[in-house]
Amino acid sequence: MSTGDFRPVIWSRFPCDFRGIRLSAILFLVGIVLFRLSVVHAQYPEKPLTLVTPFAAGGSSDLNARVFTSFLSDYLGQAVLIKLVPGQAGQKGTLEAARSAPDGYTLLFTDNYRDQLHKYTFRNDAYDTNRDFVPVARVNYGQIGIIVRAGGIYETWAQLEADARARPGEISMSHSGLWVALFVPMLQLMKDLDLSFKMVPYRGGGPAKAALLAGDADVSMAFPATVVADVEAGLIRVLATAGSERILEGVPSFTEIGLPPTTGYIHRVVMAPTGIAEDRLRVLREAFAQMQGEEAYHRVMTQLGENTEYLDGVDYEAVRIQQSSDYQELAQSLLDQ
Amino acid sequence: MIETLLAGLDAALRIDTFVWISGGLLLGMLMGSLPGFTTSMGMSVLVPISFLVGDPLIGIPFLIGVYKGGIYGGSVPAILISMPGTGASIATVFDGHELTKKGQPRKALEMGLYASVISDLFSDVFTLVMIIPVAAIVLGFGPPEIASVMFLSLVIIAVTSMGPVVKGLLMLCLGVWFGFVGADPFSGMPRYTFGTNELYDGFHLIPMLIGLFALPEIFNAVKEGDISGSSVGRFVGERLRFDELKKSLRTICRSTVIGTGVGLVPGLGQPIAAMMGYIAAKNASKHPENFGKGELDGVAGAEAANNAVNGPTMVPLLTLGIPGDAVTALLLGAFMMQGLRPGPTLLETNGEIVFAILIAMVIANFLFLVLGYISIPLFARVVTIKRSLLIPVTIMLAFSGTYLARSNPFDIVTLIGFGLVGIAARSAKFDVAPMVMGFILGRELEYTFGQTLALAGTDWVRFALTERIGMTAVVLATPIVGVLLGVRMSKFRQRALKGEEA
Repeated sequence: MSTGDFRPVIWSRFPCDFRGIRLSAILFLVGIVLFRLSVVHAQYPEKPLTLVTPFAAGGSSDLNARVFTSFLSDYLGQAVLIKLVPGQAGQKGTLEAARSAPDGYTLLFTDNYRDQLHKYTFRNDAYDTNRDFVPVARVNYGQIGIIVRAGGIYETWAQLEADARARPGEISMSHSGLWVALFVPMLQLMKDLDLSFKMVPYRGGGPAKAALLAGDADVSMAFPATVVADVEAGLIRVLATAGSERILEGVPSFTEIGLPPTTGYIHRVVMAPTGIAEDRLRVLREAFAQMQGEEAYHRVMTQLGENTEYLDGVDYEAVRIQQSSDYQELAQSLLDQ
Repeated sequence: MIETLLAGLDAALRIDTFVWISGGLLLGMLMGSLPGFTTSMGMSVLVPISFLVGDPLIGIPFLIGVYKGGIYGGSVPAILISMPGTGASIATVFDGHELTKKGQPRKALEMGLYASVISDLFSDVFTLVMIIPVAAIVLGFGPPEIASVMFLSLVIIAVTSMGPVVKGLLMLCLGVWFGFVGADPFSGMPRYTFGTNELYDGFHLIPMLIGLFALPEIFNAVKEGDISGSSVGRFVGERLRFDELKKSLRTICRSTVIGTGVGLVPGLGQPIAAMMGYIAAKNASKHPENFGKGELDGVAGAEAANNAVNGPTMVPLLTLGIPGDAVTALLLGAFMMQGLRPGPTLLETNGEIVFAILIAMVIANFLFLVLGYISIPLFARVVTIKRSLLIPVTIMLAFSGTYLARSNPFDIVTLIGFGLVGIAARSAKFDVAPMVMGFILGRELEYTFGQTLALAGTDWVRFALTERIGMTAVVLATPIVGVLLGVRMSKFRQRALKGEEA
């Protein structure tokens, strides 16, 4: 049988030139090869990135992620998709990111409690955050403040502290859930100042604040930005804020009331699985650095009540090591009780 | 205040605002009707759009449209394929799908739409007019009061279940027990997890609902054999008659009040409102034995209650800056990104924009009615699809929806597990409705009861008698209400049992 006869029936109605077909087949193959080569040499990232967030939809971390990813995409040249993997106090999402390929296409958005504290509070053999992740960038941080009702009996931290010493375990403190943003600084405060409060859990920061306003709780904690309006309206008073410097006029810092300067910080950090190629990590870090020049990004974050205190991943690594030892001590002191 | 309201009205009447609301409603309905794609997930994806458009009178009404549309959209698969699209339509499935099986899908969908729109409209108007006076009383309802109402609700469910009391109670207790699985909310200690990490967060509501309600339907359809040519119905059925709507108006009003109350309390949410609206409708009905067998009033009671929650959640959010759940937390973020800071000063500083947004929310209901009305005939056509095509698609939706909700492979196991429970319960003639109710209300009761204990401390007598009189009153009234309703229900129960024997 000659090649000429080997034509599908339908072609016989349309006379065609076999050399043409052969040529186009070769061109097609060459095209594929060139395409593959170009893929190999293409600039990372050449497809959308996935940011795994171990947080539930609607929380402050989710909102932060929605804002910065929509700007970051412009600097990476690719979309950054958020994949919410909440559960097990953040362990599910962290594990998923830890198990993903270190190709720079899967990143993790986390905070210092999930990164450094939870390994001491939740049993976990599946991953080790220090071994499995490298910091890309710290997006921003929040400083917690101690809040009370403005019309209540406490006008200064000193008054509250004196009353707490007089009535250990009787003053109620509302928090937003175990081992997260409000709970951990409260524990640190009780441990470092040797105080005892009655801890009442609520589902999130909103209900915890409501409990304070309603008079169900006597004390709570909040990021000052979330209570600005209540302070202006004369409903809430801030008694102290985290850090060594004062951030509100006339309100003492945590250092002044006898707490270490690192207590009460939440750092929001983007991590990459360990093993990511150096050049890809550099691309990511540069994109974050460049995003800091975007005026609209700062504006939206400020309106959201968040700062944009960016820290490069290399610098954040040092902060991380310090946290690890602090939290181990905290967890140990609780176990000893 | 009147001037601000009028200025707000002036600002709200913009054609582009309406276009964006309509877009939001359509997106919301679509997302809500996809099982597993919850309203909060949809809104969280769309938040960047709302701040990128840059105008609070476009961005925020858009998100509110998604919110309303999403809560309604969940009822569509609940009615048509017995698969609640979101947790909010949990009680719609009880009677909605039975109506579909009776060949009345269109009637059920229309009742769902009208009940949703009417209740949403009235609760929004309530929010608009009463936002300032009501703000003061929102905080009066704390964990002790919620706990007492949850307790009362559980007692009411127990005494009013139809069929043999023991079966109803057993399912209720089983549901409450399922709610215990997972980390104890106060100490973080795992309970009934059998050492696995997967059960640490307990059972997730969406796979549980899909498993209990949709899988047995699929199983039955397959078991009936010869599904190649047939469809659930040849026609989409009759439309809702005006007198039927009129008959359910009392139910809609009652559920509107319930939903509004639930919405005012931060953190309770639509599933609880839907359940309470449904139970109240059943208790007030002259034919409670028909509930669960395709009663239009059941659809109205559930759908009116869940949509009535939407508007009043704005009261604690806007006046106190307190978000009660994921959806309101996203709205809080959306407001803040537009430079509006919800809290006690918002109405003074930005009263005009806030009222404009609230007015847009009221007007959104009319668009909601139009869009829903247009879409119902299309949605209802689902029942005319051949079963050989519909069933595989339903199975796909069940599994993909389950996975979509949390990206958690274990949820597939939950789905199949509860699917088996549902199939077993159905063949043994156990009603799964009390189980779901026990699951949702029991978890809430446990949490709020634990909070109450923590708040009460050691001096609980003083706490109950001087500080929390409301809680004490509800707890004391519970046995009386229980006995009264139980006596009233017993005759209906006999009627129902006779009906089954006959």
